[in-house]
Amino acid sequence: MAAITIRDMCVSYNKGKSYVLDNLNLDIRDGEFCVFLGPSGCGKSTAMHCIAGLLHPVSGEIRFGEEVMTAAKGKGKDKTFVPPQERNIAMVFQEYALYPNMTVRENMSFALKTKKVAKEEIEKRVNYMAQMLSIEQLMDRRPAELSGGQRQRVALGRALVRDPQVFLLDEPLGNLDAKLRDQVRYELKKIQEQLGITTIYVTHDQTEAMTMADHIVLMKDGHIMQEGTPEEMYDHPANEFVAGFLGTPQINIFSCEVKKNTLDAGTFQLGIPEQYQAALTPYAGKMIHLGIRPSDFELAKEGFNAIKGQVESIEPLGDAYLIYVRVGEKIVVFKYAGEHAPKEKELLLVPNMEKLHLFDAETEKRINR
Amino acid sequence: MSNEMKIERSRANQQAQTLRVKPRWHMTALHIVYYLIMASFLIFYMLPFWGTVMTSFKTNSEVMMSTPITPPTEWTLEGYASAMEELGVPLLTSLFVTLFGAAGSVFLGSVCAYALSKWKFKCNNVFFIALVAATYLPFQAILIPLLQTISALDLYDNIWGLVLVHTVFGMPMCTVMMRGYYADVPDALIRQAMIDGNGMWAIYRKIVLPNTRIATITVFVFQCTSIWNEMLFALVLGGYDSKPATIALNELAGTMAAEFNVQMAGSLILALPVLVLYIFMGKYLISGQMSGAVTAS
Repeated sequence: MAAITIRDMCVSYNKGKSYVLDNLNLDIRDGEFCVFLGPSGCGKSTAMHCIAGLLHPVSGEIRFGEEVMTAAKGKGKDKTFVPPQERNIAMVFQEYALYPNMTVRENMSFALKTKKVAKEEIEKRVNYMAQMLSIEQLMDRRPAELSGGQRQRVALGRALVRDPQVFLLDEPLGNLDAKLRDQVRYELKKIQEQLGITTIYVTHDQTEAMTMADHIVLMKDGHIMQEGTPEEMYDHPANEFVAGFLGTPQINIFSCEVKKNTLDAGTFQLGIPEQYQAALTPYAGKMIHLGIRPSDFELAKEGFNAIKGQVESIEPLGDAYLIYVRVGEKIVVFKYAGEHAPKEKELLLVPNMEKLHLFDAETEKRINR
Repeated sequence: MSNEMKIERSRANQQAQTLRVKPRWHMTALHIVYYLIMASFLIFYMLPFWGTVMTSFKTNSEVMMSTPITPPTEWTLEGYASAMEELGVPLLTSLFVTLFGAAGSVFLGSVCAYALSKWKFKCNNVFFIALVAATYLPFQAILIPLLQTISALDLYDNIWGLVLVHTVFGMPMCTVMMRGYYADVPDALIRQAMIDGNGMWAIYRKIVLPNTRIATITVFVFQCTSIWNEMLFALVLGGYDSKPATIALNELAGTMAAEFNVQMAGSLILALPVLVLYIFMGKYLISGQMSGAVTAS
């Protein structure tokens, strides 16, 4: 097991004309489940491939514990570079990459045989992992004879059986159907907790990130937008991008003018609570962006600080309803946890004033704490 | 099966039957024309072969008196026995040169193809373009310097000289063919094997080769056929002691007395290994060629 430290890492695919990763700095604690989250092309897989040693950064340093794995100083010339086969890492690719010419047992034993581990030890570890992942009955089959879910388990088993110091998962659930994905997600988290291996998990699915991570690293265009625990990121997004990326359905964003004691969105006005007064003082008379999560509204009959809107459509979720409400030109999403959907055509939504998210209109950075 | 489902199925069957259109007269006529054309091509191609087989089983005197395509009145292996007297040693030479030449060129081609398709290095494409260009090189153009080089290496009229030449000149074609097959091996497999602790050579041996067995067989058979049938290098570099079967067969035809039964028997003996190879490996060859043509997922 090892902590991972990344310092000033830059990666370029076109000899420095542009950077896929630009000055990345990151600390991942020993035994942590860290999720690299972000939209396609944000550099999350590239960062993982650098950690694996499959890519050479232009500059920067990667350390496992105290041991330097990659240290590059410009023009891609590595001062230190430990090749992937010597890093004691295990990796699961989105496409599983099971060896088609080998049975499940041979696939799982392959890395251990390469390391010349004793035969009895290999058998013991493979059998234990097979039992853990409930794939004992598949051991003599070849990958072509397995379903997607089974292949995925074998790929996980093959990685876990090695007892690596770092475990890298590159969108491993991407090819599974929704039900199986939930199941494997749970199992994966459980196994990681049991084994305590430092794990990096790449995904673009915020639900996976929120449910599994101890530490989320949210990336965009080669930069880290915010990192922290899922709760921190959800409750205190550092900017509008983070607020929009985390949470389903997406956060509602309104442009508001900061007036004396009120936030004026044109179609509604909200009184500024005392805790936000200080933060908003420099913005007096200026426009800001106000974010309210769909679950942070309540229905009201009448009252102050309410947003009036017309119901456009209602989507039942089983345990709640998603109500789309037109407020002026804007459609606001409201998650209603009541037993029955409201029958009124016009609703008054009262936001939870403790959970407002205020962003600078220009920089999109968070204003309130 | 429920009654409703049965009724549904019988309805569907009826519908399918009514949809089956009877062939019209001009369609039938067209088919007859197609078959006639195909049959004429078949006769065109098979007649010489038929004549060769029939002649090879005739006595020399019968050959003089009958047309080549008529079956022999008295079946005999006389022609084969005489042909084998002349072709025996050259056939062994051909077999040796073919097996070692094909194995050498396929092995080198395979290693080059692996490096060119799966590893990035400087001038990767330049090497590949040079190899492709080499496959278009007319051998006649380099015969004299080649002869001088082989003589300087003291390999003229030496079986190893022929093996060397076939290995070297077969390698570019093998590389080009195998590069296409190896490109279909997913990069994720290579990366996974690296993560699993394997170096470049181990990945080739344990992952790439076992997963492209059909491609290797295809290229090997292709190479065997080319070397087995090859005559130019054999003629120029072979000399007397390392004379392959193609040259010996040519000498059979070049004798003063035209013993056609012996020549035909010799031709068939020479063609037999290639024919057998294609009959037994045909399935693999077709699937190998197909898998190279279509990108694998």
